[in-house]
Parts: sequence; structure tokens; C-alpha cells
Amino acid sequence: MFFLTFYRALRFAFQGFWRNIWLSVVTIIILVLTLFSVSVVAGINVVGREMVKSIENKVDVSVYFFPTVSDSDVESVQYRLESLGSVASVTRVSKEEALAQFKERHKNDPTITESLNELTDNPLGTTLIIKAKKIEDYPLILQVLDDPDYQKLVQNRNFEDNQKIVARLSDISGRIQRGAIALSAMFIIISILIIFNTIRITIYTHREEIGIMKLVGASNWFVRFPFIIESLLYGLIAVAITLILVFPLVQLVSPQLQSFFQGYSFDLAAYFTGHFLMFALMQVALATFLSMASSAVAVGKYLRV
Amino acid sequence: MIRFRGVSKLYPPDVTALKDVTLSIMPGEFVSIVGQSGTGKTTLAKLIIAEQRPSKGRVIIGDWDITDIRSHEIPILRRQIGVVFQDFKLLPRKTLFENVAFALEVAGASRKKISSVIPQVLKIVGLENKMDRFPREVSGGEQQRAVIARALVHRPKILLADEPTGNLDAINAHDIIELLRKINEFGTTVVLVTHNREIVNMLHKRVITLDQGMVISDQKSGRYIL
Repeated sequence: MFFLTFYRALRFAFQGFWRNIWLSVVTIIILVLTLFSVSVVAGINVVGREMVKSIENKVDVSVYFFPTVSDSDVESVQYRLESLGSVASVTRVSKEEALAQFKERHKNDPTITESLNELTDNPLGTTLIIKAKKIEDYPLILQVLDDPDYQKLVQNRNFEDNQKIVARLSDISGRIQRGAIALSAMFIIISILIIFNTIRITIYTHREEIGIMKLVGASNWFVRFPFIIESLLYGLIAVAITLILVFPLVQLVSPQLQSFFQGYSFDLAAYFTGHFLMFALMQVALATFLSMASSAVAVGKYLRV
Repeated sequence: MIRFRGVSKLYPPDVTALKDVTLSIMPGEFVSIVGQSGTGKTTLAKLIIAEQRPSKGRVIIGDWDITDIRSHEIPILRRQIGVVFQDFKLLPRKTLFENVAFALEVAGASRKKISSVIPQVLKIVGLENKMDRFPREVSGGEQQRAVIARALVHRPKILLADEPTGNLDAINAHDIIELLRKINEFGTTVVLVTHNREIVNMLHKRVITLDQGMVISDQKSGRYIL
């Protein structure tokens, strides 16, 4: 009996879908537009997050040691910094490398080149380039360098110069992320309302049928089930179409983004492919669950016959 | 078969559709419920199929007191009463065959039974050649025949026809009444709700007359008296 009822519900759902093809098409188009908007907002969210990460990635702090400081002293500072949980990496630039880089940077400035040639000793000390895991961790890391023992080792550090920029970046990154969350939440709420109302209107056009079915002796579930399955069909087809639309769009935008993120590896197409299952599942959950739930609620309204 | 005991039906705020109606309809009877518009005929029909509940009194169908029927029992009641409506109430997205089959499908009938019974029933009402048409593709008379086929398909003991000729021309109306008369001859109790004077006078069957929600006349072989 259950299988017979289930089979009939399926048959009625497909029948209803095909025999009202224009209503089905319009419903699906609205669902696709909604899901597409959510996908675009999600895409912007991902790109925004990666953009902030790429900027943060370019921020580092250089600690310049006196030229007289021995390698073992620098190593002990490096070791201490590396042991901090908030430090992502510490790169050591030796005196020789620092000089070579300095010369390379100023090769077109004859005054500096001549001055350097006058010197017999290397005037530069070893440098440590510190990258933190999070942008807001820099002040804490640099507190370590305020240790009085290090005062006689460290000649200069550029963090104070960068502090304002870092603080600004940290603030902007926070704002962007909060904005993205708010925008996504707003879009999700709008899509929930659109999907709910679209299905409700679709069911509204069938309200008379629902009443007739009840008068002929159909139980509530016998009436409700085909409509829920029909709504599930709308949801699944809308998700499939949205994914088909989003995929080429991502392929198109991805190279542009890659050139935008110079020096930072971010491939939107690869990100999309990597997160495809999660992305598809989220859309299926949003579209099918909502359409099924809203149809069940909407049908219920007309079942009181 | 159908018993009303002191039934009243009030619609808020202050409309009294039926007032203390007591009547009995015996198995196999053909009863016309007549009266002018707004006298409670349709409310009486709705009480029989539990589309409405009485405000007072009791409604009994067979041995079943449906006064306080539970909502999950309503489909079971409706599968035992064939109903014919003035506005046909066919499912627009289903063919005539599927409309008739639907009444059996809701009761869980097998495909085999459906495919053998439906053509027979459609033949009785003269629609054997139009079973694959949609309601919009046939005339009003044919739609009403399909409704009668649907009402008959699970061999109900009661056939309730609420203004079945209201939307039909004289010839089609006559054909539908003849069909109802035949169905009654096979033993089905027929309750005809109408305000069509000619039809009632032509039938020479029991006539219950309602006026302002009250039974004012109940004649064995009656006429339309209003």
C-alpha cells in the first residue's frame, strides 16, 4: 500500500510538472535567479576573503640587528620567535645577502655605490623577516623584542613605521569580512523569502484542485505528497541549471582574478572545483528543503475542506 | 441510511443556515431536497459529506455518527458517498479517465482493478470514446457525466448530487436526471439537491422542502411547492 501510494505520488508529481510546464518553467527560472544571486554573493565573499588574505600576506616585519651581533645571538632570537604560536615564518637574511640586496636596489644611484665601495667592512647587520599568522598578532610578537636583553642587539625594526598601515589593514579586513557576512545573510534571507513565496504562489494556483481531491476522499498526505515531490523537482532542476550557469562564469572570471592577485596564488576555478560538492549540497539544501517545506505549508492551508 | 436529528447550523456572526432539522432517508430512496437559494440545501449536503459540522444536533450516515468525525476519518466517509457538484469539480490537469481513476486511487485500488473498472463506468455514462480528453476539451454535460462516473466508481451506497443540472441546458439536464434515476434503480440512495421545479415535478419521487433553514414539507411523491 505504501509503495503504491508512493508510486502514485511520484506519477502525479511528474504529470503535474509536465502538464503545467509553463508554471513549472517560471517557478524554476525564479529559483535559478535566486540561487544564482546567492552564488555570486558567495563568490564575491570568497574573492574578498582571499583579497584580504593576499594583502595580509604581503605584510611582514623586518628586525635589523647591529652589524656586530653574532650569528648565534641572531639564531637564538630567531629560535625564540619561531617558537611563538602566532608566528607563521621567520626568514633570516645574512649580512652578505642584505648587502647584495642593498647594492642591487641602489645600483642606479652612483653616490651610494661609490660610498659603499669606500667602506672596507659590511655596514649592514643580519635581518629577520617575520610573518605572523594573523595580521593582529604583530604587536604581540614584537613585544617579545622589547625584552631588555634584545635592546643591545636590535638596531631597528620597521614595525612602528608599518603599524598604522597594519592597523588600518586589519580594520579594513575586519570590516570587509563583517560586511560580506551581513551581505550573504541578507541575500540568504531574501532567497528564502523568494523561494517560499514562489512555491506558495504555485500552490495557490492549485488550491481548487486540492479542495477537489479532498472532496473525492483523498487523505491529506495523498494530496500533499505529489506537490512536495513536484516542488523537490523544481528545486533540483533549479540547482542543476544554476551550477551549469555558474561553472563557465567561474572559468571566465578566474584568469582575470589570477592576474589581479599578482604574487599570490589564488585560482577561483580550482577553488570552485575543490568546493563543488559543498557548494552543490548547500544549494540543494537551500532550494529543495525550502521548496518542499514551503509547499507542505502552502498545501496545508487548502487542505481544510 | 441518512439521519438528521435536530440539526442546526449557524455561520458567524448571525446566519442560521439550518434550524432544528430532523429527517431520515431510507436505503434505496430517491429524495429531492428543494428550496429557494439560501434556504440551507447546500449546507445540508455539506453536512452529509462532513465538509461542515453541525452547530447542534446529530448527523448519522448508516450506523456512523459523523457529528464529531475526526479529520483523518473524513476521507473514509467520502469514499463511501458519491458526490456530484454543480460546478463539476473535475481536476483540470487530469484526463476524464484519470479523474475517475483518482477516486479509486485515493482508496488504494490496484492498477488492474482501475484499468478494468473505469472503462465500464465511463461506458455507463456514455463517455467511453472521450476518456483521454481533458475536462476543458468536453462539453458541460460530458463533464457532469464524468463527475457521475467518478461518484459511482467505488459503488457508493449514497449518491449526493448538489444542483447537478445548474450549469447545463435542458437536454443535458434531462439526460443527467435520467442517469441518476437509473443509478437509483440499481439500489443506490440518491439525494438530489435542486431548485429546478420541472425536474422535481417530473421525477414523482420524495420531496423535502426547506425554507429559511427549516423543513416545511416532506412528501412521498411530491412536487415543487414553493
